Amino acid sequence: MNLVNQARKAIDPLIVVVFLMVGGVVGFLAAPDAAAPQERQISIRARQYAYEPEVLRVNKGDTLRLSFISEDVVHGFFLEGHDLDVKIFPLKPDFEVTRPSNPGLIERVQEVVLTVDKEGKFRYRCSHTCGYMHPFMQGEMIVAPNRLFPASIGMGLGVLFGGLIVAARKRTPA
Amino acid sequence: MDLFRLFPPLKWFVSRRWFQFAVIFPTLLLFLLFLLAGTFGSPVGNRNIIVVFVWILWWFLLISVMVPFASRIWCTICPFPFFGEWLQRRALVAVRATDPKQRKKDEGEPGILVGRNRYFGLNRRWPKALSSIWLQNIGFLALCTFSALLLTRPIVSVLVLGFLILLATVLHLIYRHRAFCSYVCPVSGFLSLYAMTSMTEIRSADADVCARCGDKGCLAGNDSGWGCAWGVYPSKLDRNNYCGFCMECVKSCPHDNMALNLRSFGSDTQLKGYDEAWKAFIMLALALAYSVIFLGPWGFLKDWANVSESHEIGGFLIYTVVLWVGALVVIPAIFALAVWTGRRLAGPHEASMKQVFLGFAYPLVPLGLLIWVAFSLPLLLVNGSYILMVISDPFGWGWDLFGTATVDWTPMIPQWVPYIQVPLLLFGLAYALKAGWEQAARLFQQNSQAMRAFAPLAVVLTATVLCFFKLYAG
Repeated sequence: MNLVNQARKAIDPLIVVVFLMVGGVVGFLAAPDAAAPQERQISIRARQYAYEPEVLRVNKGDTLRLSFISEDVVHGFFLEGHDLDVKIFPLKPDFEVTRPSNPGLIERVQEVVLTVDKEGKFRYRCSHTCGYMHPFMQGEMIVAPNRLFPASIGMGLGVLFGGLIVAARKRTPA
Repeated sequence: MDLFRLFPPLKWFVSRRWFQFAVIFPTLLLFLLFLLAGTFGSPVGNRNIIVVFVWILWWFLLISVMVPFASRIWCTICPFPFFGEWLQRRALVAVRATDPKQRKKDEGEPGILVGRNRYFGLNRRWPKALSSIWLQNIGFLALCTFSALLLTRPIVSVLVLGFLILLATVLHLIYRHRAFCSYVCPVSGFLSLYAMTSMTEIRSADADVCARCGDKGCLAGNDSGWGCAWGVYPSKLDRNNYCGFCMECVKSCPHDNMALNLRSFGSDTQLKGYDEAWKAFIMLALALAYSVIFLGPWGFLKDWANVSESHEIGGFLIYTVVLWVGALVVIPAIFALAVWTGRRLAGPHEASMKQVFLGFAYPLVPLGLLIWVAFSLPLLLVNGSYILMVISDPFGWGWDLFGTATVDWTPMIPQWVPYIQVPLLLFGLAYALKAGWEQAARLFQQNSQAMRAFAPLAVVLTATVLCFFKLYAG
């Protein structure tokens, strides 16, 4: 009887893991495909301590033509995972572009072109100290299909259903 | 597994009378340096060591390393009670003890005898009505309402931390033992809650030895150690909540009966009062609010929280009301609804609403801890390079002590943060569901009843985690 109980106990976490994985795969596959790639002209305004737009929704493969302007002080635009860091000057249409992979090279331009080749959620953050709340100045670029999110929802629901099934398998001790 | 037996040098170290002084003194010196830097250094938070070290490095280490692995080890080295305890004991290392047989002879001695130790100050008992963590709950929520200022203005950090050390000193002179730590310190409140999950505990090795012990030096003190400053009797200790890891009981036990046990995550599973349950709600509400304000893209919310600069008084009031009502009313109400529904679905049973409420609130402890770890992770990974800068230039005055002052701001793997946060949250959810089910099985006799009672709670816990998925990965 003890062996049976031990076997049941060992199987419980396995059930949860299986449901988690199934939920994750279902969520991953259920993510809507991204629309066809397109070229987008995006003007980003920076101010203490936010960007306008706060959230950029684009598709994988899109070509973004980005321009920047600051409403108040010098700000930065560091885009996670995209080798792009911009220094934005107050009320000036031109800005400095650096590549974190090659920080010595600085270009002064009025537009930077970025091809979005990764899906997911990427924050853009201010990279030049701009005031008290500087470390928290950020926006979000959400690149469809952002499969992590539906996959995580699926995994969360998988854990719930797996957990409920494990609970339902338990028997009241005699 | 007793770590003292496994690593005898550790036992030797904590058994020295000078142990606590040796571990507090360095943090006290650092603390004083932080206060100086906060007062006289750069007003820009990320250029000042007090903000970078306290709110980025210390916070991450506290919530992600110290609490889950070493319980209230922070309380062992915390500098807040240093001056108060010194004045209360008039000793940094030594013990003042009186042999009970010599008590009459010592009557003329200065100080007040509590147990067998002699203390100074008024040594009053802490009021019974305040003997809970409600003060800490309200104090912490009040402090966190101003967190946008606290986290970004060195001088605000100086004022708050300086006030806490002053308050601790004054309360040590009025009340006996560590009343400040037990009932007032805002940090202590959430440490007490999350220490339940910790993988270490201090317990008596053999309860029978304690039962037979006539000395009770752990509680009353003796010439080897002070009586427990937290007022706990180690033999009856069944949770980490109110054990400050000061190691005095290790020194004072005449039978060498104290153990530092390694245990599995989340071994303490009982909340004992509504104050503790509300602490769990408050911590959940704050994690949600901080994730929205500090990790979110919404500028207007940052302006509301950052009231002293934005002057958005109306927005700040809205933010404050939403935070307080959310933490004290809305989240507890949603939770209570899940508990009420579960009890109704369970059918006839003997578990009271209070028993079920407190039992079902426990899963919020491991879940809350994991949510806080997930929240704190990007603060360190993204802003960790500031640590290198301020080590070389702690005041932001242009020094370069170790050649790292000009290190560029370099976020570490920021694009991978959601991929770390999601598994952390999933682990927290799985653990919370397991803990919730165990509570249900304990409270309801029939498994079918337990299952029905547990289901609404499981849905609420899952929905909570899905909300954080949306914020971090959606």
